[in-house]
Amino acid sequence: MKIAVCVKQAVDETELKVGPTGSPILTGAATKVSTFDKNAVEEALRLKSAAGGEVVIVTVGPADARKAMKEALAMGADRGVHVVADTEKMDPMLVSQILAKAIQKTGPYDLTLCSEGSSDTYCGQVPPMLAEYLAQPYAGYARKVEVSGTTSRVERALEDKVEVVECPIPFVASVVSEINEPRYPTLIQIMQASKKPVEEATPDSLGLSGQKPLVRVESMSAQTMNRKRVLIEGTPDEGAAKLVEALAKEGVIPG
Amino acid sequence: MSQEVWAFSESDSVANETLAAANEVANAISAKAVMVEVNGESPGKASFGKKLVVRGGAATPESPEAAAEAIFRAAKQAAPLVILVGGTKNGKEVSARLSAKLARGCLSDVSKLSCDGKTLMGERGEYAGKVQTKVAADLPCIAAVKAGSYSPADGKGGEVAELQVGDVQPKARTLSVSRKEAATVDLRAAKVIVSAGRGVKKKEDLSLVQSLARVLGGTMGCSRPLSSDLGWLPEEYHIGLTGLSVKPDLYLAVGISGQLQHVAGIKDSKVIAAINTDREAPIFQAADYGVVGDLYQVLPALEKALASRRR
Repeated sequence: MKIAVCVKQAVDETELKVGPTGSPILTGAATKVSTFDKNAVEEALRLKSAAGGEVVIVTVGPADARKAMKEALAMGADRGVHVVADTEKMDPMLVSQILAKAIQKTGPYDLTLCSEGSSDTYCGQVPPMLAEYLAQPYAGYARKVEVSGTTSRVERALEDKVEVVECPIPFVASVVSEINEPRYPTLIQIMQASKKPVEEATPDSLGLSGQKPLVRVESMSAQTMNRKRVLIEGTPDEGAAKLVEALAKEGVIPG
Repeated sequence: MSQEVWAFSESDSVANETLAAANEVANAISAKAVMVEVNGESPGKASFGKKLVVRGGAATPESPEAAAEAIFRAAKQAAPLVILVGGTKNGKEVSARLSAKLARGCLSDVSKLSCDGKTLMGERGEYAGKVQTKVAADLPCIAAVKAGSYSPADGKGGEVAELQVGDVQPKARTLSVSRKEAATVDLRAAKVIVSAGRGVKKKEDLSLVQSLARVLGGTMGCSRPLSSDLGWLPEEYHIGLTGLSVKPDLYLAVGISGQLQHVAGIKDSKVIAAINTDREAPIFQAADYGVVGDLYQVLPALEKALASRRR
């Protein structure tokens, strides 16, 4: 079974700094593998260990995105496809079109896995858009994926229900983080990751150039947490009494 | 071109929220808000001015693939200016698919929509809620409206139209649908939420949190580790970026450190209180009131203090 996993090098939201004008500093911000993408890589490795085959990491991003690629390869993926492109001004549609072309060009794959959304912008548009561009069946928000022969059975975790769908191969799926616990690569795996083959492409080489994004970012402002931040210390009884008093004054507890 | 703003959601409650958003956008540009249903009964659901029932073979509103295809075909015929989709998980899929099919922009998970007749604008939380981003797309376009961000519109019966779009057959086949075990837990509507985190040492100790929630007339929730990693509570209790976003009057975080992903799901709460042993825990930065202390001592003390107030 041949599996493509889409991985994004995302801005590390925990390290994101705010500039003097109140907008976040994205240029040069610390990055990491988008948190939930590791669940997608893990699921691909799990499926491969059961059925054999190959796991290929596909990423779109600047040269620096090679860091995320290496991390995914260190987890145990076999090789990578890196479409080198400046993604800062791209919308999910452009990224999906590039991913779809890269997947078509380097495939065919039986399965394309994504996470439900990236840990930075969390739009969640890329996976269903990929399914549209690849003209393949799609199962979003998967919490369990089973592949047998030419078909698959996927449990989708929705808000208040679980839906089981059958998708013929090839198909696209996005996973939720509850699907598995991503492995940590060993030191040896991390060292070996740099030796694994990574094929490079560009939007031009994929026949996609001059595309303009349809969704624009007009402005970004850091969210100020306007909270009172009253710290209550003392014995448990004192703390409890003060908290109850404060909450009663706020009118958020009965009585 | 017809001047219409469409609203669709496969969920009845979210449909009326989406319609409220559509009313707002339609009023701003003197267009007509239209509630769109896929193979629905007619007449039925709340409607403002007009309801459009799209009929397409085996398409069901619950299949995002089929709903998107049916609405796409209808949109090709009727050319709405804006299509708003309720931002449930399935709704987000429908909106993204429509965007790809129509080759038009799609704003994902937005609230505070505005429209000047040329461009649709909306705001969305990004970077685990650290940043509020204003995004825009030129009309005609699509948006997934963040669930819970609009008060449901009041239903008024109106003109009902039907549109046949031919046979729609999804590639993914639904084998079964089961309600989640705790589907009755409706944290989105709760006025008081007491939430448990890693500070709770054993599954049995959740009874302490549950008990306080009961005393406060509230509902219990949890942070991601308790549902996803430890499996102590079903996923429906998980509050945070990849779980539920809630906005109760009181959110009380018990033994929750306050990772950004968790705070992203609670930031619209009216009052946030927290109990944590670590006075440096990030949750205290996100809270109005923070009690530094051991939940195993503070929770019983809180129940006692609440009881003595009522006497």
